[in-house]
Amino acid sequence: MGLLDSVRGFGLTFGKLFDERVTTEYPAEKREKSERLHGRHVLNRYEDGMEKCIGCELCAGVCPANCIYVRGQDNPADDPVSPGERFGFVYEINYLRCIHCDLCVEACPTEAITESKLFEFSFTSRDDAIYTKDELLVGDDGKPQQLPWEDWRDGEDQHTSAWMRATAPSGDASYEGRVAWAGELGYGTRDPEVGQSGGDGD
Amino acid sequence: MTAPTDADVVPVTVNGVEVEANAGELLIDACERNGVYIPRFCHHPRMKPVGMCRMCLVEVDAGRGASLQPSCMLPCTPGMIVDTESDLTKKAQDGVLEFLLINHPLDCPVCDKGGECPLQDQTMAYGPGESRFVEEKRHYEKPIPISDTVYLDRERCILCDRCTRFASEVAGDPLIHFQDRGSQTQVNTFPDEPFASYFSGNTVQICPVGALTAKPYRFKARPWDLEEVDSTFPNPMGDRVNVQSSRDRVLRIQGVDSDATNWGWLTDRDRFSFEALSHDQRLVTPLVRGDSLGNATDDGDELVATSWAVAVERAASAITASLEAGGAESIGVIGGANLTTEAQYVWAKLAKGVIGTDNVDAQLGDGLPAQVVTALPRNTISDAMAPGSAVVLLVDDPKEQFGTLFLRLRHAAVEGDITIVELSPIASGLGSLVTVGAHARPGDVGAVARAIVDGRTDVEVGGVEPAELQAAAAALAARAVTVIVGRPSVAEQAGPIIDAIAAFTELESVSFLPLLRRGNISGALDMGLTPGMLPGRTTLAEGGEWYRAAWGTVPADSGLDTAGMLEAAVDGSLTTLVLLGADPLADFPDADLASRGLAACRTVIAVDIFASSSVANADVVLPAAGFAEGAGTHTNLEGRLSPLMQKVNPPGTARADWLIAAELAWALRADLGIESPESAWAEIERLAPSHAGATVEQVRAAHDGLVIPRPDDAGADRPAMVSFSAPVPTEIVPVDGYALRLVADRRLYDQGTIVQHCASMAHQSDLARISMHPLDAAALGVRDGDLVRVTSARASIELPARPDRCVPRGRAVIPLNRAGADVRALIDLATVVTDVRVATL
Repeated sequence: MGLLDSVRGFGLTFGKLFDERVTTEYPAEKREKSERLHGRHVLNRYEDGMEKCIGCELCAGVCPANCIYVRGQDNPADDPVSPGERFGFVYEINYLRCIHCDLCVEACPTEAITESKLFEFSFTSRDDAIYTKDELLVGDDGKPQQLPWEDWRDGEDQHTSAWMRATAPSGDASYEGRVAWAGELGYGTRDPEVGQSGGDGD
Repeated sequence: MTAPTDADVVPVTVNGVEVEANAGELLIDACERNGVYIPRFCHHPRMKPVGMCRMCLVEVDAGRGASLQPSCMLPCTPGMIVDTESDLTKKAQDGVLEFLLINHPLDCPVCDKGGECPLQDQTMAYGPGESRFVEEKRHYEKPIPISDTVYLDRERCILCDRCTRFASEVAGDPLIHFQDRGSQTQVNTFPDEPFASYFSGNTVQICPVGALTAKPYRFKARPWDLEEVDSTFPNPMGDRVNVQSSRDRVLRIQGVDSDATNWGWLTDRDRFSFEALSHDQRLVTPLVRGDSLGNATDDGDELVATSWAVAVERAASAITASLEAGGAESIGVIGGANLTTEAQYVWAKLAKGVIGTDNVDAQLGDGLPAQVVTALPRNTISDAMAPGSAVVLLVDDPKEQFGTLFLRLRHAAVEGDITIVELSPIASGLGSLVTVGAHARPGDVGAVARAIVDGRTDVEVGGVEPAELQAAAAALAARAVTVIVGRPSVAEQAGPIIDAIAAFTELESVSFLPLLRRGNISGALDMGLTPGMLPGRTTLAEGGEWYRAAWGTVPADSGLDTAGMLEAAVDGSLTTLVLLGADPLADFPDADLASRGLAACRTVIAVDIFASSSVANADVVLPAAGFAEGAGTHTNLEGRLSPLMQKVNPPGTARADWLIAAELAWALRADLGIESPESAWAEIERLAPSHAGATVEQVRAAHDGLVIPRPDDAGADRPAMVSFSAPVPTEIVPVDGYALRLVADRRLYDQGTIVQHCASMAHQSDLARISMHPLDAAALGVRDGDLVRVTSARASIELPARPDRCVPRGRAVIPLNRAGADVRALIDLATVVTDVRVATL
């Protein structure tokens, strides 16, 4: 090891001093979110206000982090919560465990659970970290609820929209995202995602 | 099961490998036995083949060239060449699945079967992968309830004929059937006739799709939520079950196919009884007498929650006080028939070896003396129903009380060459499958049995005509006879039944199956939870020395039974009573004596899972663990030991029964030396004469359980087991021509604690009614539904009447434990039988 090695080691450090800054001062400034960001989940509704979740527990079954707890119940005949026989009676996601892999979104047969680009999780207790239906369900207008610790800004509506598929059905790498369901009650619009191959970048 | 009719071995080539099939064996079974699985929907090993679903088509060359044939309909023949993986076979499987899925709704996410569905699994494994079907599917109203517990979704049905075959072939309740034709074929009930079968839950279990679902499990969990363990249901049959739970709650019980016992079937009462386990009225904390502020005081009017330390100390000090004041005879223990065999031993050791009282009885005046039951040579269920044997029924209606035994009996009567002679006072649910219905008049069954055994069949005996006596004698002649014996009616005392047993013991080839009510009653009698007996089917006189050496002390004289204990309580000589899951107020045949007895006791200590009426009047209440909440061993009517496994935790601070006994002993300054069910079993195996050689490992390992006593002579150095000696015959009560003789029997759904704590069953308990022969009813001027007054020497009750041709002349049947009227008021335990007079109001 030569004497000049330590000086040479700082070369990178000093060099970067004069590069463009990449650090932003959050929360004063929020960075643009990447196209495929997986944020917090929302539970969607149909346009008539019915919940899409049917309590099938496929999301819970596929979850690699075991962070979802769902229980179904018979739909009350006089006041159904969802179309069909069963509805999601309990729906909880533990965000201390969730790794935002979006396999739940993939597994969902009714597109009831999707992920938004909302990323602010600043709960202060373990109980707060478990989001229940009260937090996850979208409002009657299809817009997610703003939780007390979420900082929403003008023009960020599309961050709350959550209809994006994370990966392609059947693992097709050249999949170009499409809005796959009709009568969508979403809030804000978001461009369809670009496939993992064959897109502009390739 | 389609048992091989011939032991001859048939060589068959399966996928190029020569395997050995049994002659007559179905190809699908032979292939499975040799490791080649052929997909199927309709084929079920316990039912006859129908070839409905065509899923098991395979390419078979039986000498005339290869062609597709359904392997579930094809008995193996020599030289058969089978290809289950040929292109043609695969094309057929592909096509069959495509057709089956044409009208299948694919609502798997909301279907209870989704995740454990043979149609899903086999579509993934053998199916075409993608659907070409774009047309609208067939639609039906969904789901429709076809009984109180079963929903039918006709859209999902693939018409495999399993449920309909079960209903008509196995259960004998052909209440669901194919209706309409062609593409409109559907399974349904007949109009206004629900699928009111006691066995309807089995159709849910065998349905290969989600067409039949059970209300108690509906949407409770998905299959991947469930954790499961094979266990034994604590009923006298010892049905093998699979207990499934999620989040520490039992959510489903499924039958497990055991050749020896239930063949995979269960009755609805057992299958859905898990609902009671998580009922919010379960006892979860010890209770003692206290004041209205919740403070535990010695003379409070209310039951207040307390700690185990306080409750056990109270119980122990009450026992100690009674011991000092009146000796061990002033303490009694009633119940224990629903405990595990280990817990029964520990309680017997506590009562007889620590406290020193022999006032212990697991039966509440509705059973048979243990000295008789444990002394009889026993048979196994399978041997009793082997072709060429004969069965004598002297029990409650097995269809009402012992459903899986009924299914075995029914199968044997339909398929096997067995004869069934019914001596019970009224006809059972077997109906015309019975060879001879020699329905003895209550009180006369001993004389009837004697006449059949001795061949004195030329005159009428006990209400049975000579022709029937002769037919019964002929049906039993030259056959291995098994007498299934219990107490068909509590209005008839045990004496005449024991006389009948004594008569049958004189037959050349005879064995017995004692079928008494309450879950583990066989274990209770084996473990000495009964006066005069010690664990291992030995008596105080015979085994006293042996157990004194092991336990330190053993009562010198035989103690009191339940009736005796209650009378002793009334006259003040018994002051402390322990109720081990017993509810004498609701369950003892003499309700008045029970209520006076419990009221007169200074201290009543109740160990139970629910606050029954007797428990509500107790002084110390200790909450116990229920089924699936503790581990142990179960003993069935054959003496078959099978493991009971723990699946969930007991609610609150409830504890296992054996642990409660051990704690109580500790508070009495005694050490039972038992730390776990396993250590209790080790002691049973070491001491009990009947259990020598039955280690806990052997019991756990045997899929079909282990029958005791073991055939080897491991227990040769132990005290002799009790042997049967015929008592003095009970005198026959003369017939009162103006009266009807009372039969008090039991029905599947009653006011019992478990049934009433199950949401899907509680309302199925009907009102009490008196049934009598239509001619008797006509003679009395009673029409269907009339309110009548029924008067015995003791009391009179009013209830509606129903003419019923199944009831023989001169008898009146009133079910026990039904809402509306309590038949127990009429019964006098001091008389052998109860005669009642019926008058219209």
